[in-house]
Amino acid sequence: MGNDAWRDLVRKLRSRRIDRREFMKRASALGAGAMAISGALRQVPTRAQEPTTVTFWTTFTDPDLSILQSMVETYNSQAQGHQVELVQIPPAQVTDVTKLMTAVRGGTGPDVYHLDRFIVAQRAADGLLQDLSGLGADLSPYIAFARAEATFNGKPYALPFDTDARALYYRHDLLQSAGIDPAELDPANGPVTWDRIAEIAGPLNQQDSAGNYTRMGFIPWVNQGWHYTFGFSWGASFFDEATCTVTPDEQAMVDASTWVQNYCIELDAAKVNAFGGPTMQPGFPVQQHPFIVGTLAMQITGDWAINQMETYAPDAEYGITWMPVPKEGDQSVTWAGGWSVVIPQGAKHVEEAWTFMQWFAGEPGQRIYTKESKHLPTIEALLSDTELFEGRHQFFAELLPTAKNRPPLPVGAKYWDELTVAWQKIYLNEEEPASALATVKERVQPDLQRFCPIEMS
Amino acid sequence: MVAETIVAPSRAPAKRRGHLRLSRRERRNLAVGLLFISPWLIGFLVFLVYPIVYTIRISFTRYTGFGEPEWIGLDNYRNMLHDDLFWTAVYNTLYYTALAVPIGAVVAMILALAMNQPLPEVPIYRAIIYIPSVIPLFTLTFVYQNLVHPTQGVFNRFLIWLGLPNINWFGDPRYAKLALVLLAQYGAGQVAVIFLAALKGIPASLYEAASLDGASAWRRFWGITLPLMTPVILYDLILGVSLGLQIFTQVYIISGDPPGGPANSTLMYVVYLYNNAFRFGAMGYAAALAWVLFVVTLVLALLIFRSSRWWVHYETT
Repeated sequence: MGNDAWRDLVRKLRSRRIDRREFMKRASALGAGAMAISGALRQVPTRAQEPTTVTFWTTFTDPDLSILQSMVETYNSQAQGHQVELVQIPPAQVTDVTKLMTAVRGGTGPDVYHLDRFIVAQRAADGLLQDLSGLGADLSPYIAFARAEATFNGKPYALPFDTDARALYYRHDLLQSAGIDPAELDPANGPVTWDRIAEIAGPLNQQDSAGNYTRMGFIPWVNQGWHYTFGFSWGASFFDEATCTVTPDEQAMVDASTWVQNYCIELDAAKVNAFGGPTMQPGFPVQQHPFIVGTLAMQITGDWAINQMETYAPDAEYGITWMPVPKEGDQSVTWAGGWSVVIPQGAKHVEEAWTFMQWFAGEPGQRIYTKESKHLPTIEALLSDTELFEGRHQFFAELLPTAKNRPPLPVGAKYWDELTVAWQKIYLNEEEPASALATVKERVQPDLQRFCPIEMS
Repeated sequence: MVAETIVAPSRAPAKRRGHLRLSRRERRNLAVGLLFISPWLIGFLVFLVYPIVYTIRISFTRYTGFGEPEWIGLDNYRNMLHDDLFWTAVYNTLYYTALAVPIGAVVAMILALAMNQPLPEVPIYRAIIYIPSVIPLFTLTFVYQNLVHPTQGVFNRFLIWLGLPNINWFGDPRYAKLALVLLAQYGAGQVAVIFLAALKGIPASLYEAASLDGASAWRRFWGITLPLMTPVILYDLILGVSLGLQIFTQVYIISGDPPGGPANSTLMYVVYLYNNAFRFGAMGYAAALAWVLFVVTLVLALLIFRSSRWWVHYETT
């Protein structure tokens, strides 16, 4: 019908029965009419039978992304009335949620978002997340620190997903090549001191004629050698609940930082950085990591590295042991992080999203993910399920009960970023630890002040 | 600089000040004209004017981007003065702009002079030099990052081969800004093509006259080429300064986590603005930063423009 009207109009114009102005008017009317009809047709409930699509955004990359994909497929095969669509958004940096923020403001946000759990409080404080209490969220099956991280102002804003723990990985072949018996680092012998790690690492360092490192024994800050890692190891707590103060400048953290700075100065901080720095760039391919290719003998990393080793260095002989300690006889301390799922503001299918989240972050989802990814579950009951942990994975499950966690503050993202800048200044020998850490406090405390007092429990 | 006077055509009807008397036909023409440019007009109002006005408003508030903005008056602007990172970002950005723009102009001039030689293969070089300008900036940044990689980069291998120390360009706070200045030179091709057009526009008769008077090539460059190129150099400076102050993409891709590292050495102004808006939930402060940047850019552009009366030469007939 529309076509005929259009042809007729063109014919009239050509035969000069209407002028150009009249032609424009009628063509516009025709176009507007066609749009109205097509719009109305879209409202006709021919598609009403199609299931609702719940959009789930994640920043995960492989190998974990594939696991999420198969979990979603499993869920979809049993879901009724809705289907979940997993969408990978570009891998972001730790505290960056730009895409989520802009999409939510633009009305095109997802129904479920995969959020690093330690910044849930900050994003909840920003008003980006939905309070889950109305949906009947019950966090009681989850381990205590995961519960605390998923809560802001006493209200649940997330369901905890996985967790993890950090430990020292060491390569047998490299240690043996420098005449060191890897048995010394066997977990059965308990933790060694950080100074002993420095002694073991020394003979493994190799340089080319220009003095550039071609092989190294240990770089404190590579991979999971974060500020929190060393701070916790020396006994730092990072937050004083009684005074509602961030404490990056406490003595334990200054001591930890001083050890790291001295280690780097000893080996020439710039040269150590030239060797290890690229691995800390976002998107650095894990298969090229010096520990995987065999040019770094020891590193601190998490449970997920078991899968990476299996995939990219299946023949490498390596061990996993306790986080080293400052002094002989000290208790080894590690820390745990992990992810969560949240419903952002503006989500269009809240009920369905909630149904999916309960499965995904509940027992069925966590069982699959723990087994496949070698991460750890946050549901307390699953931690005692020995079926879920095989071999090396078991070691991390045993670390979890005593693991520390980052204080879940409504300034968690900023605290992390500021600590990271200070950490870089420390290991690059740009600034004394005490002054770099004091700057962190100066920058974070004013932002925290308006949320005080804060109850961690 | 001579200001041009625009004289109203004599046919224009005399109008009383403040009143726009249009005939019915003129009004209709105006309406049709506005209707025809309406796609642009609506886009301009919605995507440019509205956000600009909106940022003024939120720059006086504490606002995360969600919920209700809380009015805090001039606090955001006052806080800037005591914010160390604000000053770090200002220093880094000025450092980068002060080096990248003049170096860029010199590199572009050299390229333009080289492309102005009467050689048959010049069009090929011109295409090659222009290619980086049509490649997306993030692609170019990734390529560059690999070229200057401390262990695998071709450029670094070359430095080592020359017996020079291996520099971790983006990992070492001492070199990170310089590495960004070098990266900016990829964009010189675009400016060079504009410079080349200006070179071609210089009348050959001037060179002939100078040659007859015995002027050397060097003298001809300083006496003829450079003065007559100053209008395009002015254009390049104003554009370069404005773009230089807004450097973001390269830093965001290269500098790691958080953007602006290592140790804040590449914390450029817009990167700091971005961190505040999208990482720290300080959209109000970020809006205030944006306004300060706008004012500073405008003042710098005006200063350069005002200074042009002393150094820019327009060809007069």
